[in-house]
Amino acid sequence: MNSAKTIEIKVERTIPAPPGEVFDGWLNPKIPGNPWNMAEKLLLNPKVDGFFYWNAKGISHYGRFTEVARPGRIQHTWVSPNTLGEESTVTVIFKKQGEDTLMTLVHSGLPDTDGGRGHEKGWNYFLDLFPLQFTDASRERK
Amino acid sequence: MLASHYTIWCNVDMDQLTDVLTAISHPSRRAIIGKLAESGPTRFTDVAKPFDVALNAVTKHLKLLERAGLIERERQGREVLISLRPEPLRLVAGWVHEYERFWNERLDQFEQHFKDKRKKERK
Repeated sequence: MNSAKTIEIKVERTIPAPPGEVFDGWLNPKIPGNPWNMAEKLLLNPKVDGFFYWNAKGISHYGRFTEVARPGRIQHTWVSPNTLGEESTVTVIFKKQGEDTLMTLVHSGLPDTDGGRGHEKGWNYFLDLFPLQFTDASRERK
Repeated sequence: MLASHYTIWCNVDMDQLTDVLTAISHPSRRAIIGKLAESGPTRFTDVAKPFDVALNAVTKHLKLLERAGLIERERQGREVLISLRPEPLRLVAGWVHEYERFWNERLDQFEQHFKDKRKKERK
């Protein structure tokens, strides 16, 4: 990664299964919802320094697993056209929560291109100020 | 779905995006946006009132907001009314959140899979 500023996306869900099962499900291409499941062509080697490649609708994604620690944590790099060829990082943390698992996915190191550099605070502000518009915009795009 | 993400990203007007992000990066300009969102069309003097800065500083903030397409001015007699145009914020929101939407959709499906599974197990 070069010295350009980056942004981070964080998404959380409570999954109704124990961490080990959720961890295994995240790495199983047959389970809907993980990124591998949507691939039309997939190469997946989920161990430290193992690589993945997946392609959907002609768009390729590449990465290298940097942590595979069952049942708590998976981390891998993520390179796609949207990362502008830079390595971003996806970290998935599975934390026991009663009978369930709190799953936290953090996608960090996403390139903050010229348009966004230095303005992260502004994004947070307007997300607070205009939540309905974002919801509407999001619905329109879906 | 994925293809549409890329299309949206590629079509974003980066110059306008830069202008909008610049506009919302300053607390005074965010306060102006907030006031206009709350009050609707507002006279220049009322926009400037809460700020403890020179009027020409407020004018500069308004120019940046105008360049980003976030406000418009309309003359009514002797007064100039300033209104918020929130549409450019959607452009930024879409650009910022493509990956957030991608992961949310993924995790929604993943969660649903386990919900269905638990439901079957408990029947």
